[in-house]
Amino acid sequence: MRIESVWIGRGGQGIVTAVYIVAHASIADGFYAIANPEFGAERRGAPVKAFLTITDYFEDSPEPIKNPDVAVFLDDKLIDTMRVVVEAVKPGGYVIVSSGKGPEEVAGIIGRKDVNIAVVDGIGLALKHVGLAVPNGPMVGVFAKVMGLPRLESIKEAIASQLGKAVEQNFAAAVEAYKTAVVIPAAEAGSAKISVEIPTTSAFLTGDYELVGWDQIPEGGLVYPGSSLRYKTGSWRVEKPIIDHSKCIMCRRCWLFCPDDAVLEVWREAKGPGGRVVRVKAIDFSYDYCKGCGICAQVCPTGAIQMVREL
Amino acid sequence: MTLQLELGKVRQKRIALTGNHAVALAAKMARVEVIAAYPITPQTPAVERLAEFVNNGELDAEYIPVEGEHSALSAVVGASAMGARVFTATSSQGLGFMYEILPIAVGLRLPVVMGIATRAYSAPINVWGDYSDVMSMRELGWIIYMVSNVQEAFDTTIQAFRVGEDPSVHLPVAVAYDGFWISHVLQPLEVPEDEEDVMRYAPITRSWRKLDVDNPASLGAVGTPEWYFEIRYAAYKALEDSIKVVLEADALYGKMFGRSYGLGSGYKLEDADVAIVTYGSIYGLARKAVDALRAEGIRAGALKIRLLRPWPADFLRRRLDGVDKVVVVDRAFNHGGLVGPVATELAATLARPIYSAYATIGMRATDSAALKKAAERVAKGEVEPMRPFNIGLRGP
Repeated sequence: MRIESVWIGRGGQGIVTAVYIVAHASIADGFYAIANPEFGAERRGAPVKAFLTITDYFEDSPEPIKNPDVAVFLDDKLIDTMRVVVEAVKPGGYVIVSSGKGPEEVAGIIGRKDVNIAVVDGIGLALKHVGLAVPNGPMVGVFAKVMGLPRLESIKEAIASQLGKAVEQNFAAAVEAYKTAVVIPAAEAGSAKISVEIPTTSAFLTGDYELVGWDQIPEGGLVYPGSSLRYKTGSWRVEKPIIDHSKCIMCRRCWLFCPDDAVLEVWREAKGPGGRVVRVKAIDFSYDYCKGCGICAQVCPTGAIQMVREL
Repeated sequence: MTLQLELGKVRQKRIALTGNHAVALAAKMARVEVIAAYPITPQTPAVERLAEFVNNGELDAEYIPVEGEHSALSAVVGASAMGARVFTATSSQGLGFMYEILPIAVGLRLPVVMGIATRAYSAPINVWGDYSDVMSMRELGWIIYMVSNVQEAFDTTIQAFRVGEDPSVHLPVAVAYDGFWISHVLQPLEVPEDEEDVMRYAPITRSWRKLDVDNPASLGAVGTPEWYFEIRYAAYKALEDSIKVVLEADALYGKMFGRSYGLGSGYKLEDADVAIVTYGSIYGLARKAVDALRAEGIRAGALKIRLLRPWPADFLRRRLDGVDKVVVVDRAFNHGGLVGPVATELAATLARPIYSAYATIGMRATDSAALKKAAERVAKGEVEPMRPFNIGLRGP
């Protein structure tokens, strides 16, 4: 037996812990496993990937997985940016997605009829049981459901060992995901051979630059100024801020505290006295860059800003 | 009284200096702009002399008296990144304390020049000269010279600026000279009368990538797995290719100042059956040993390696391929290795077994008679190849 899986998520979603938990539980079940997460992004929200191979024979090669049996997405907004991973899944394999969207809609985004698709609202379950938007526990549960391993008891042992805290809550999230995930079986067999492979390039290195040869790189690794404008960090968001302008007193605390300069002061048309349309200053958000940290809502003195679930 | 000499095109004078003071004078004549150093025996007189030059106005440089060698090299790396010609010097544990910054100067491609008055590593504390410090920095990417006398220490320090700052090189350069046996030995040397001649030979190129407020950039950013290999390979390749620049700079120096050294030198190797290979000050002893051996009918020769990095493989093959038995007198242990550090590389270069001896460890005194004896044992088949033996060690 050999199950190769690739896990795609973002820094902070617990992807490293997720593969450690599945590997740990598989080992407890008597299998061999290699959980090989990618490190280096060190940035909450940045795309990361992890490899997990489960075998029933000794295996110690941390080779990158090119064509997985299973692809697990902890964030449906990464499907488009990491589409190569979806395309590289072996026909008849599995794509497991955490999404607040309906299963059919997710299947449409995946766009492959020759793979099995499993969908669960991982973030919703994590928020419900753990109180954090960290969907790793639920995704472990869905993995166990569709692959038939590891056993739930082993997953609980692994959560206790790998997390050491909130064990019951995380396990409850995993179990509910195990029970409620919707599985859409593959409709077609697909071609036996697939031409796409996951490149060995790190997931988080997906900037708009070309990987040039050693003779083309500025000496000493000198880096000329780039621009953070190029990196639309808005996709990292789980929740987004919305504002009720009738409650806003334009104190600009949100503008002051936003760590990403994503709170904007804009002109807005409003109805003035006597029905006259006047232009007034108002607070708005730059959703291309807002990471959804919620600080604006936290510091708002009138409750004008609310965070709403987006993912 | 100084004797006026007309050598090449440059007027020179004959003076007497210790190795430390000669290296300091060379840095001064190359008009270094920033010096940061921490005193350590046996390097101390070199940096003290530079401090005097700055203090008395003879040298217009920033002298940064740092609190340790880690800061010394960090400070000159920073100054070099701003485009300054920089110099530092150290020994032994001081080099060890700099270790973290040594590969950084390479990766950032900064032409730092450093004098190393070689000294044994502790423990036990030993302030005396062997080459354990220099041998510990071989794989980091520096150009490393090992010189044999005061004159060569002076000349090589000046050459180091020209080589390191060459647009095709941009690498840090270390000039290693024996602690005490060169650093504190007073010898005659010829030096240019006019600093301008030194600056004509080694003008500050400022061609390396440097920080500039009008053209901002980051130096020392993270090199992720997708970039590090390429950036580091460029430094690796630059070091390999720098051997050409080392030779050109040495040849030009010869034309201007009348002295050149090549990648090393050979002595009576042409018909030699046994060759003593070594480095640093004891090359003079090796030559005397060769003469004594030849007087007894043993056809001996000697070779000194001047350039440790980049490794002068072709030069060594040309000089030693025809010699039957080669013995390397290494001056630092290669702990846990097969043979001495330089012996290991030379055996690989010649692709055949050679002989390996350890001498001058912790500056254990040696003499030409001891080297002669060692070469005799090799010539007579009394020692095995690729099995190190010791010159001057007590015990079995």
